[in-house]
Formats: sequence, structure tokens, C-alpha cells
Amino acid sequence: MPDRRKLESGMLVLAAFGALLFVPPLVFVFNQRISHFGIPQIVIYLFVVWGLLIAGTALLTHYLPKYMPPDSGDGGG
Amino acid sequence: MLSADFVIISAVVYVGLLFVLAYFGDRRARASKTSFLHSPAVYTLSISVYCTSWTFYGAVGNAARSGLEFLTIYLGPTIVFVGWWFVLRKLVRIGRTQAITSIADLLSSRYGKSNRLAVLITLIAVIGITPYIALQLKAITSSIQAVAASSEGARGSLAGVDDGALAFGIAAGMALFTILFGTRNVDAKEQHHGVVAAIAFEAVIKLTALLAVGIFVTFGLGGGFEAIYSRAAAAGIEIYSDNTFGSRFLAMTILSGAAIICLPRQFQITVVENSNENHLRTAGWAFPAYLLLMSIFTMPIALYGLTNMPAGANPDMFVLTLPLAAGQSGLALLAFIGGFSSATSMIIVASIALSIMVSNHIIMPIVLRSSSGIGQGDGRGVTRLLLISRRISIALILTLGFLYFSLTGDSDALAPIGLISFAGVAQFLPAILAGLYWRDASLKGAATGVFVGFVVWAWTMFLPSFETVSPVVARLMVEGPWGIGFLRPEHLFGLDGLDPLVHSVFWSLFLNVFMLVVVSLFTTQSALERIQATVFVDIFRRGAVPQGNFIRGSATANDLYFVAERVLGERRAAALFETAARESGVEPAQLDPSPEFIGRLERELAGSIGAASAHVMLSKVVSGSDVSLEEVMQMADETQQVIQYSQQLELTSAELRSTAQKLEDANAQLRELDGQKDDFLSQVSHEVRTPMTSIRSFSEILLEPGDLDDGQRQRFVSTIHQESLRLTKLLDEILDLSALERGERAWENRPTDAEAALARALGVCDALLRQRGMTVELGPRTRAAMVDGDADRLCQVFINLISNAVKYNDAEQPVMRVSSLVRSGHYVVDIADNGGGIAKGERKLIFRKFSRGRHNGTDQSGAGLGLTISRQIITRMNGTLELAPSALPGACFRVRLPVI
Repeated sequence: MPDRRKLESGMLVLAAFGALLFVPPLVFVFNQRISHFGIPQIVIYLFVVWGLLIAGTALLTHYLPKYMPPDSGDGGG
Repeated sequence: MLSADFVIISAVVYVGLLFVLAYFGDRRARASKTSFLHSPAVYTLSISVYCTSWTFYGAVGNAARSGLEFLTIYLGPTIVFVGWWFVLRKLVRIGRTQAITSIADLLSSRYGKSNRLAVLITLIAVIGITPYIALQLKAITSSIQAVAASSEGARGSLAGVDDGALAFGIAAGMALFTILFGTRNVDAKEQHHGVVAAIAFEAVIKLTALLAVGIFVTFGLGGGFEAIYSRAAAAGIEIYSDNTFGSRFLAMTILSGAAIICLPRQFQITVVENSNENHLRTAGWAFPAYLLLMSIFTMPIALYGLTNMPAGANPDMFVLTLPLAAGQSGLALLAFIGGFSSATSMIIVASIALSIMVSNHIIMPIVLRSSSGIGQGDGRGVTRLLLISRRISIALILTLGFLYFSLTGDSDALAPIGLISFAGVAQFLPAILAGLYWRDASLKGAATGVFVGFVVWAWTMFLPSFETVSPVVARLMVEGPWGIGFLRPEHLFGLDGLDPLVHSVFWSLFLNVFMLVVVSLFTTQSALERIQATVFVDIFRRGAVPQGNFIRGSATANDLYFVAERVLGERRAAALFETAARESGVEPAQLDPSPEFIGRLERELAGSIGAASAHVMLSKVVSGSDVSLEEVMQMADETQQVIQYSQQLELTSAELRSTAQKLEDANAQLRELDGQKDDFLSQVSHEVRTPMTSIRSFSEILLEPGDLDDGQRQRFVSTIHQESLRLTKLLDEILDLSALERGERAWENRPTDAEAALARALGVCDALLRQRGMTVELGPRTRAAMVDGDADRLCQVFINLISNAVKYNDAEQPVMRVSSLVRSGHYVVDIADNGGGIAKGERKLIFRKFSRGRHNGTDQSGAGLGLTISRQIITRMNGTLELAPSALPGACFRVRLPVI
């Protein structure tokens, strides 16, 4: 099982870089008048990045430790 | 053909179905903690209450007007959920441990249980959400009107009814429904399982409906993605625009990311209704996936609508009007129900969330302060008061939404209305994030920041939304208040050239954060604030946080029970007191309330009426609480010190442990080395002893005067000579090896011709080979190969290997085969013989000191150090010496050296 701290860093990197991929200026790179399979490149780009973020989150989450509730419910104090 | 009457009846039936679902959902969820309703799937689906009719209808309209900009509304939340581990997880943990009931409760609780802040947040939330509710009313109204206008005679009983009346009817129906739905009881943690079940069901409906319309339009009508995009391009509709990805795109992404945290209904569903923190693990990826599915067909529907619908058709209604125009009544009905679902789910959850805030933070405190006691009479006063105040709040909120709708009814796009709300609630974000991560954020800072942000938002965004209906506002927009152009709402402080949305978001959030930080730095926190700040910021440091139960002093169990019964109801109050009594081992009647118990009671009460009200309520009953605040502060400080001290201790002891471990390791290593040294010494002694014994015995014989003839004498002396030679050689080897091992007697590796060294070694051994009558097969030989090494040392290794091949070969016709080649950058020499070979078990041992092949070997003149030395030498030349599979029956040694 990978190191927990590295996983957490991975989550942070995924979220931060995911955010960067969606906003200018990186979007400009793909915002060209080109189509692939009849679909504009920018549309494909945005949806593919989106899909990869979802997959990446699912993967990293799988390895992150689950929350174990404290044994005795919410006893006082 | 669909008629307006028919869709209205369908809507009523649908609402009835939701009600039944909520009712049974509630019963099932109560009956079993492990039911399907407590699953992560239901949790994720209920979070998609985020997708309102703005998503269902408005996204297509937005895509038709501004291209890919509509995606920002889903990308922001995607980022927040991808990073769920950081913000959402902390919020949920705090929400669960502190029994948080709403976003106002969260902020009030964090900033010293201040009720004023809660009131401020509640008011802002109500005003901020009003446009959003209006948006839903508008969407439902438009969708019914779209159906009514679709054909002759579809209008039915709606003939003569205008938008305003229709919207009023819808708002009234919604209010009634939400009241029946969401305020049937006051729950411990403000959880509404039935509502959540219904919302999850609606999430499925709206996704199904939107996908069905999308697939129908894209593949049924449009002929696939490619055809739609190319036809749109042919019609001159371009989705490429350099303007799409500008500051507006960034601002909207930030706003939607803020909204998924700050919208009261999202907070309600994500944090308050959360029954298990682990559900976030699923929602983290599943909710973005839901958003992706919701938006996959938005662009094609918009493009198809733009190319094929008559000019002037409202793009916001394409999802409904396209199936209608194609004569697909069933699909159109599904689309209508889908849109209706998305609107109702938003209205239900938003008004429940807001009503909790209004009743807990505005109505309850007023009642608490105005009456000296806590409700008189039948003992269920508070519960009833809560329910009534919530019902009134719901009606009030929907009325406000309706008023906003009728005031601004002329603007036709849905998305801009929603963005007004997003920007309004985004003002909570700085206070929330600072509350979660910055210990020094103070009540005054947060309140100032939120207030300033709200005022700027109201001035630059909320007010301009009335521009079209109010001449006063319109004049204000152009000239500024009292003719001061400097303060014009969309050009504040003379900032020109920005999109109005970006302008407003920038100023409001910038000033909000600025005030929050500056005021926090210039003010000091009260004792309670500091405690709460620690509780919130350090929520993940389990056990290290003092709980925020600061009410100390004396109170009788009777008084406390009186309070608890009125808020929690008789059953739960009794259960709470009985548990406490059982834990301390006394009868419930004799329970002496400890500070811990009062703290627990306060959290229970906070779960129903909010932290601030619970605090006020208990303070009234518990005497002496005022004095003890400082005392508690001191306690908290002491605790903090103890924690720090123990952390230091822990750190030190961890260091000690690791040092001890290192020492132990070093000791073990030393012991092993010591053992090796002993072995070595005993082996050396053994090796030296054998020749010494024979030298001694022969010299003793020679010393005795006797009748030895010359021949015998000669033989004895030559034996002594041979043995001493062997002894010298052994000692030389030992010295050589130890020098090699210690890195002494180093030589400079320089380019050397290895092939020449091999030839020289063969030449040196020539005599030996002849003596044994050994046949030398020379295999393929390479040309000169330059390696990094020392010629003499290399020659020594080869000689050692060749003489081993000779010495340990007991075959009748001894054969040795020497071959060399250069392969993949390495010079490789194989020296093989046809002797007995090396037994499997010894293959690893032969490179050790003093190990010789045991089972054969007629001549054991070697000390068993040759291979060890050879390997040391080759290793120092960065090569390897090992056994290789051989063509001959015996052993085959292989030397590999990197070629330079």
C-alpha cells in the first residue's frame, strides 16, 4: 500500500493541476479550430481531462485510509 | 399532444409520488441503520441537488448564448470534489462532531458561538438565495407555458392565466409541499432521511430525462455528434471563440467551486445530512461523474436547437421544445418531469436549509431573550415553536422568491440569475476557509469581511439585476448615486473594462478577504473564540482538542432536564439523562450534572437549535458560567501546554527509540564482523599449521645426528623448502587480500588491453599446462579490447583462473577452453575445463575465503584465497567474476569487464 502522505500529496496535486488544466492559459493550447472525429478539439479536451480527473480521484481514494469512527459513539467530554 | 392541464396534473401526481417516497424512506431509514438509504450512492445522488433547472434548462440556453462557458458551473464543483480529502472531509468531520445544523451555525460556532454572526449569515443567505428560487419558479413557469404554446388547444384551463399567476400558484404549491415534507419533526441532527431519499430519486429522474432528450436530439434528430457540429458550423454558429476562455471563465469556475461549499442547500446535503464520513469517498469521484453525464449532451442540444428552431425561440427551453416540435409527446413529458424534478429538489432543500437557519438563529434567540423562562405550559413549547417558525420561514422564503420573479420577470436568461446567487453565497467562502485553516481568524474579522463582501455584492450585482424594471436603478447605473460616477455599480472605483460579473466578483471577494485578514490581525479573540478556533482547526488531531464545553458551575439535574425536555422532547431527554446516570452509576433522580454532561447536553441541544441558541439557553440555567470563562480559558491553555509538552516527550522518546535501534544494528554488525574475524583467524591458523608441522618435523629429523643418507637429506630439505614456499605464498595472499579489502595497495584504473593480459597469462601458464599434458582449446577470440583496469592485476586473475583449471582437473585427458568476445559493451572471457566441475551446493561458497572445491583436487597447494582475491580485483575494475554455464563438463569461470 503506498505511503499515506504521498497519497495525500497526490490528491492535492490532482486537484491543483486539474484546476490549472481547465482555466486559461493552458486551455488556449487546445482552443484551436481543429476537429477530431467531427467534434471540436476543445470539447474533446475538456471532457477527457474531466474524465481523467474522475478516474484519478477514484484510484487515489481507493488507497486512502477509511475513516474509523471512535469506538464508543459520541460519549461526552 | 401534450396539454398544459395534463402536465400540471402529471406534476401534482409526481409530487404525490415524492411524498410517498419520502414517507416510506423516513420509516425505513429509522428502522434500520444499514438500509439502502444510508448508502454512498444515495448520498452522492442527493448531492446532485446542485443540478437545478438551471442545469436542466439553463445550461443549454447558456451554451447557445456563450458556447462552452456553461461548463464552468460543473468544473468548479468537480475540482472541489476531486480535492474532497482537504476541505469537504474537514467540513464533514466538524459538522458531525459539533452537531452543526447549517452554514450559519458552522460560522457562528467557529467564531465563538456568536449569534450576531449567525443572524448576518442567515440574512445574507436568504437574500442571496432569493434570485435562485426565482430562477426555479421561472423555469417551471416557462416550461408549462412552452407546453401550452406548443399546439392549438394545449392551453386548456390556462387560457387567460399569465406568468405571474402561474408562478404564484407554483410557489404556493411548493411552499405547502415543502412544509409537509421537511418540517414534520425536529431531528437530533437535523437529518431528513425521507427528504434525502426523495432528492436522490429526483436525481435519477432528471439524469434519465436529460440523457433521453440528449440521445434523442443528437442521434435521433441530429444524426450524431459529427453531423450536429458540422451543420452548426455550416450555419455560421461557431463554438470557437477566443473570448470564451477569459477572466469570466475563471471567475465563474471560482464561483461555482465556492457555491458547492457555501450554498445553504449544498451544505445541508453534503455536511448536515451526511450519515457516514466514508460516503465522501464515493461522492469524491461519483459526483463529478454525474455532472459530466449531465453536461455531455448540452452542447449538441444547443447547437441543434440553434440551427433548426425558428429564430427567436428561447434557447433555455430547447430541452423541452425540441421533443415537442418533433411530436414526441412522451419524451416531452419526461423532459418536463425532469425539469420539474430539478426545480423541486432545489426548492425543497434550499427552503428547508434556510428555514432551519431562520428559525434557529433569528426566531429562537428572540424568543429566548424576550421570555425569562424557556416556554411555559405543556412542556413541548420549544419543539412546537421551532416547527411553527420553520413553516413560516419556508412560506417567507418562497414569497421572496416569487416577489423577485415578478419584479425581474422581463429578463429572459436563466443562467445570469443563478450567478447572482452564486456570487452572493460565495461571500461565505473566505470566512469558512479561514475558519478551517487559520487559527487567528477572529469573529470581528469574519463578520466585517462577510458584511463588506455582501454590501459590495448587493451594490454591484444584486441591484443591477433590477435595471430593466426600475428607472431609478437604471439611472443609478449610468450616473452613480448622487451623480458620483466613482461609485457606479458596474464601474466601482472607476474600474472599467471588466465584465460586470468579473467586476463584482473581484471587488466583493477582494474586499471581503482583505477585511477578514486585516481586522483579524488587529483584533483579539475572546476566550471562547480561541477554544472554538482550536476545536475547528485541529479537528483531525484526535484527542488533542479540548471540547468546547465551557459552561461550568452548578445546575441541578432538574433544571437541565426541564430545558432538555422542551427542546429534545420527553423521550430523548429521558434517554440522555438515563444514559448519563447509568454511566456514573446513580439513579437518574440523583444525577449530579458534571461539566462533561453539561457539555454533551449543549451539543445535543445545538443539534436542534444551533450552537449559539443552545449556549444562551444553558447559560440561563447554569449559574456561575460567566465567571468560569476565564477559568476555562486557563484550562484550555494548560491543556495546550500539556499537549505540547507530551508531544515533545513523544518526539524525544521516538528519537531515543531510533537511536537505540541504530545502536542495536551496529552492535549486531560488529558481532558478525567479530565472528568473521574469528573464523578467519582459525582458518589462517589451520592453513599455517599444516606446512609448519611438516617443516618442524622434517627439521627435527635433520637436527638429530643420525644416519641419513644424502638422498634422504636432500628430499627432506626440498620438502621443507616447498612447504616454506607454500607458507610464504599463503601469507602473501592473506596480506594481499586484507590490503585489497581495506582499499590499500590501490592501483589506478587506466585503459588497459585486456586481451593482451589474457595472452600474457596463457604464456605464463604454458609450462604448467604442458607439465599436466593439458590440451588448450582456443575458442573464438576478440581483437584488442580496452578496459579500465590494471594489466598486472588482470593478468594475475587470469593466471589464477587458468591454474585453477589445471589444478582441479582430474580428467584423464584434461582439456581447457578459453574464449573471449565483446558483447553489449562488455569484454567477456570464459575459462572452462572438463574436470569434475563444482557441486551445486558449493557454487556460492567458492568465492569465499579458504573455500576450495572439496571432493576433488589432487593438488591442494592453494590456500583457497585465489578466487576471493580475483573477485576483489575484478570488482574494483567495475566488472564481475562468476560461474557460467559451460560447454565442457567441468566448471566455467566468466570474467565480464565494461569496455571503454
